[in-house]
Amino acid sequence: MGMMMFQKIKSHFATDDVEVKRNDLYKVGIRRDRLVELIHMLRDEYGFKTLNAITCTDWIEEGHFALTYMFTTLDRKHTFMIQTMVNRENTQIKTFSHEFKQAQIMERDLHEMYGINFIGNENLKELSLENWVHTPPLRREFDTLEFVNNNLTFREGRDDNVDTKAESKRLRVLKKAKKDADKKEAAKKAKEEAEAQKSKEEEVKDGE
Amino acid sequence: MKWSVDLKGTLSPLSILTAFWQKPNTIAYPTVKKETAKGYRGFHTNFLENCIGCANCQDVCMNDAIDMIKTDKEYNTKNASQCIPRIDYGRCCWCSLCTDVCPPDSLKLEDDYLNVTKYASDFLYMPKNKE
Amino acid sequence: MENKHITIFHGPQHPGITGNMSVELDLIGETIQKATTHVGYLHRGFEKLIERRTVIQAFTIVCRICVPEPDPNEANFAMAVEELAGLEVTPRAQYIRVMVLELSRLAAQFLWMAGQSGSIGLYAVGQWAIADRDLILDLFEELTGARVYHMYIYPGGVRRDLPEGFLERVSTLLVYMKKRLKDYDDIFINNASFKNRAIGVGVISKEEAIANGYVGQVLRGCGIKADVRKDAPYLVYDELEFEVPTQTAGDVYARALVRRDEMDQSIHILEQVVAQMPDGEVMIKMPTHRKFKLAKDDTWVKVESARGEFAYYMAGDGSEKIRRMQVRGPSLVHAYTLLEDLLVGAELSDVALIMNSLGICPPEIER
Repeated sequence: MGMMMFQKIKSHFATDDVEVKRNDLYKVGIRRDRLVELIHMLRDEYGFKTLNAITCTDWIEEGHFALTYMFTTLDRKHTFMIQTMVNRENTQIKTFSHEFKQAQIMERDLHEMYGINFIGNENLKELSLENWVHTPPLRREFDTLEFVNNNLTFREGRDDNVDTKAESKRLRVLKKAKKDADKKEAAKKAKEEAEAQKSKEEEVKDGE
Repeated sequence: MKWSVDLKGTLSPLSILTAFWQKPNTIAYPTVKKETAKGYRGFHTNFLENCIGCANCQDVCMNDAIDMIKTDKEYNTKNASQCIPRIDYGRCCWCSLCTDVCPPDSLKLEDDYLNVTKYASDFLYMPKNKE
Repeated sequence: MENKHITIFHGPQHPGITGNMSVELDLIGETIQKATTHVGYLHRGFEKLIERRTVIQAFTIVCRICVPEPDPNEANFAMAVEELAGLEVTPRAQYIRVMVLELSRLAAQFLWMAGQSGSIGLYAVGQWAIADRDLILDLFEELTGARVYHMYIYPGGVRRDLPEGFLERVSTLLVYMKKRLKDYDDIFINNASFKNRAIGVGVISKEEAIANGYVGQVLRGCGIKADVRKDAPYLVYDELEFEVPTQTAGDVYARALVRRDEMDQSIHILEQVVAQMPDGEVMIKMPTHRKFKLAKDDTWVKVESARGEFAYYMAGDGSEKIRRMQVRGPSLVHAYTLLEDLLVGAELSDVALIMNSLGICPPEIER
């Protein structure tokens, strides 16, 4: 299986991005205009006939989504991850639901969570969320903490939280200031006693 | 529709009648209580003489359930901030990560799990002070 | 006559369904013409919650994705993190993980039996099955500290070592289970009323099963020998010996027979694990404050759960947080692509029977 298949992929599709992750898992990165050709070649010549999953990762700092298709052989011993990059704004990509029936529900899930439009999919209605009008939730620019703070109220009773690092610093500074003040006080007292002692001795001397 | 007679399949389920002579599986709660296993993850306890107020438990808690509040008197002189943890049981999931990261090992989970109350403010639970 | 078409909503509270899910049925008389699945009652947003949390904080919520059988989720998460962070697990921890996964599989099959018998009306079998599952949950309480959501399989090992005398208690329970499963054969598997309801109902063809990506007992009931523990072994399954049972009819009764044989195989695996348990440490040395650093890479791991192949996709970005974790449970394709096809032409009273035999679990469809 291994070496011949990789050689053919590297030469035919002019890509070097082929990787063997474990002895049962392979990965290839491909440009999106040759995606369908690669999938058909793997299905017809090398037996990767079953579509297992379609996953999507949001790389917001690089400006694209990474769409990955997972295919398995008939004997389920090998899996191929086929990854392609699509743009993040107004994403349009052709559907696979006419060749693989299970792709319809997987694409419906990604459409709801990321906002990707799969052209030709007959059923892109909502799946888990109901009447959702904000941005698609799994995109990185949707901040859940900010959404919760703006739209929901918290229960009372937890306002007495103390920041322990600030508190221990404050107590340490107080303790040091108290120690310095005590030292000064003790030094002043010792000086006063010494002076009192001295004046007493001088009185005795005068009296003699 | 077939009308064949399946004698074995009709008569063998009658062995369920032997259940009349077996000991029942249920226990007579609340007169008889089930014994909880040792190491069960129940309510929190905190031995205040060892707690150093480092707030490791607050940092690792994944639900933001722990608040550090000032003590009323000094239990441990090594406690640099004089604060001890209080747990919000409306958010806690009893994963016990807070007990794993406690450096002096003062925060633990006991095997008591029953608490009945009328007020929602009782969910802010101060761990019992014991070993 | 007009008014022959009726549309009814089957669910979400129904005794035949293992979870909260509803099916909208178009009927003529009692025969179904069209079925549409609706989920959305259990969406908790796990994949978004994990974005703001470090790896060890995410580990505590992963087990809640699947309610009847939480342990394959923890095992998948631990295996994916270990691949991305480059950790190695000791042999004793691997054997303990296999023991926990097989005990959890037995408990889930008992729960299936309770649901399947309840959908026909044999409620006594369901009560017995729940009582026997309770004995397994007692063992879990002693080992992990909780009965259902264990939070035990850490990335890097397992959380606690075995208590004293634990392996003897497991052996005693296995002896009791072997005797008890023969009672279930008498009252449920060989029961004439179950056979009359189940044979010939919900038939799936072999070619369709392979092409559409079905997994688990749906494949094994059609005659295809597919099991992740044999095809792509993980943990120490390549050192243990067991078989993969299959049937050829492809209907509800064939899938029930496959599950009953799998319970026997689980007991066989557990006996070997108890006899071969090695000594040693159970956990590797943890980083400070338990902050794992993941490489900028992605991976795909899978585990065989009681209902089929369970897989995770995980991507890291070089920091302490997980960039993306996607869950591919067995029920996503079964509940939509398979169920909507299979129910066309079936009777109304068989809906609960078919759904239970496919093993559909709604919490993992919508996470």
